[in-house]
Amino acid sequence: MFLLRLAVKNLSRYKRRTIITAVAIAVGIAMFLIVDSMLLGVEQESERNLKWYETASLRIHTRAWWEDRLFLPLDDAIEEPTPIVEMLVHSGYQAVSRTRFAAELILGYEEFGDDGYIPVTITAIGEDDGRVYRFGESLAEGRFFTPGEMDGLVLGSWLAEDIGAKVGSVLTVSVRGKGGFYEAFDAQVVGLVNCPNPNVNRTLVMMDIEAADQYLGMDGSVTNIDIRIADTRDLEAVQRQIQQQLDPSLVVLNWKDLAQDYLALVSSKQGGSYMILLLIFIIAAVGISNTMLMAMYERSGEIAMMRAMGMEGGALWTAFLLEAGLIGLLGSLIGSLLGILANLYLVEVGVDLSFMLRDLDMGFRITNVMYGAWNVGAFIIAGIGGTALSMLGAVLPIRRALKSTVVAALGRQ
Amino acid sequence: MVTLDSVSRIYKNGESIVRALDQVSLKIGDGEFLSIAGPSGSGKTTMLNLIGCLDDFDEGELYIDGHPIGKMSAKERTAFRRNNLGFIFQSYNLIPVLSAFENVSFVLELLKMDQGAIKEQTYKILAEVGLSGLEERRPSELSGGQQQRVAIARALVKGPKLVLADEPTANLDSKTGEEILALMKAMNERRGTTFIFSTHDAMVMEYARRLVVLHDGSVVSDEQRGR
Repeated sequence: MFLLRLAVKNLSRYKRRTIITAVAIAVGIAMFLIVDSMLLGVEQESERNLKWYETASLRIHTRAWWEDRLFLPLDDAIEEPTPIVEMLVHSGYQAVSRTRFAAELILGYEEFGDDGYIPVTITAIGEDDGRVYRFGESLAEGRFFTPGEMDGLVLGSWLAEDIGAKVGSVLTVSVRGKGGFYEAFDAQVVGLVNCPNPNVNRTLVMMDIEAADQYLGMDGSVTNIDIRIADTRDLEAVQRQIQQQLDPSLVVLNWKDLAQDYLALVSSKQGGSYMILLLIFIIAAVGISNTMLMAMYERSGEIAMMRAMGMEGGALWTAFLLEAGLIGLLGSLIGSLLGILANLYLVEVGVDLSFMLRDLDMGFRITNVMYGAWNVGAFIIAGIGGTALSMLGAVLPIRRALKSTVVAALGRQ
Repeated sequence: MVTLDSVSRIYKNGESIVRALDQVSLKIGDGEFLSIAGPSGSGKTTMLNLIGCLDDFDEGELYIDGHPIGKMSAKERTAFRRNNLGFIFQSYNLIPVLSAFENVSFVLELLKMDQGAIKEQTYKILAEVGLSGLEERRPSELSGGQQQRVAIARALVKGPKLVLADEPTANLDSKTGEEILALMKAMNERRGTTFIFSTHDAMVMEYARRLVVLHDGSVVSDEQRGR
């Protein structure tokens, strides 16, 4: 109790120095909380936007298709999708068939001012696609194609902007059908989608699944069946359960399997962010180390007196670690308060990054506004980490002070 | 009480060897009021540090109350100091953020006494040294003489048999210095505590009942005084 009282009183001894050190720690803590909040917010939103616009929760492919997925092979399609979709719906899941295939959009001089083509991946969807995906809410212009409409295309708004397409623009689609035959057809842009997933806005080309079936000679087969699962359910358990009900030639994949590139990116960005945070914390630790070193130097006479009076090394360690820990705790509290204020803004208002996200592909599936998210664990880590780090920063100065003999310390006065 | 038996303290600095204390033998009895005098570098502080178990000696043996100090580990010597010795420093070495009361009572906290006894003993010793009513003042709110009184109270509060004081009046004016010496002597007489203090001040030497003079690490005179 005396040691704690002494530590608290010593904090008031060098008020300015204590405040400067605590503020340095507070800034580090607040930055950690802000970065953590933004990363978590971006991850949560990206995960949602991946499921709503790109991958669904689960997807069924044939194993052969999955192995050759880079080539989007139509020959390895699911031959009988309807009974599988019915089984899934019967089991209480929302499921839809889709066909994804490689194509080239050929742009004509008259329409686009220049001749050329771009490779794209076209997603063919049915009228029930809204059971799993959310494109219905994201139509920015025009309309969706009707079932069986042979020449209607819906484009991502950024893709349309990039190639100069508008609603009503006509372009030619060149594809290779199932079995390898070539096919080309003229199609009209009937609608533009602008959704919260920038990757979709940048690359999306959609058409009706019945039309695609005819152009590609699919005979009712599809490349994938996409499934929506409520977020509250154990995704991997459902994945295993569905897999058990399917033919072994089919494989059930979850959104993480399908978005490995995104997850790798998140992981590497997190690593980079934590490196920056580590540097901030090292600076704070050096600050506290310096503060404690000065305190030790200025109090060498007192320390020598306490040791002469019979104070054990352990008690002195405790006294000074408590003092450093209290500075860290003060910094952590100020930092957490700043973090809460910043987080309130980030969660409610967010940071508008639309000026850069349109042209810069950061890999995250968010557009315009980057929101934060609350992470109670981060606040706890920040509090404990800030205090522990401060104590750690004090170790060397304390060791140094206690290394010198009482006689030498008294002689230095 | 204290016996130095051919004690030497040798400092080595490269090739040169300095015998700060050279084969000193001395016996100090219970309740003595003894001054160690001598010019700078004569070995006064070294002798006080050795008797205070703060430093190691290289030859001989030192006994305090029959305990051979040279055979003790560092931890045992810390415990020995805590239980048996009191210190008064030239520059008081009070903790500025603590009150006079807390500066004194912390010595009893180290002995893990109960709070009631700590309070009682601390108030009592502060009254004895003439600091009643000033218990809550911090060192910066006290005069130099009052600060040294707090230091004396701190040295005596646990009732040690031996108090060591290194030039206790060096930072005080002569009038205050004399008051401090009078106080120390009164405590010596009232409590029977042995006081050993170093000085090169003639007035301080006058107060001692025994004066040991050192020169170049050796005792050159040891005389009983009447005062």
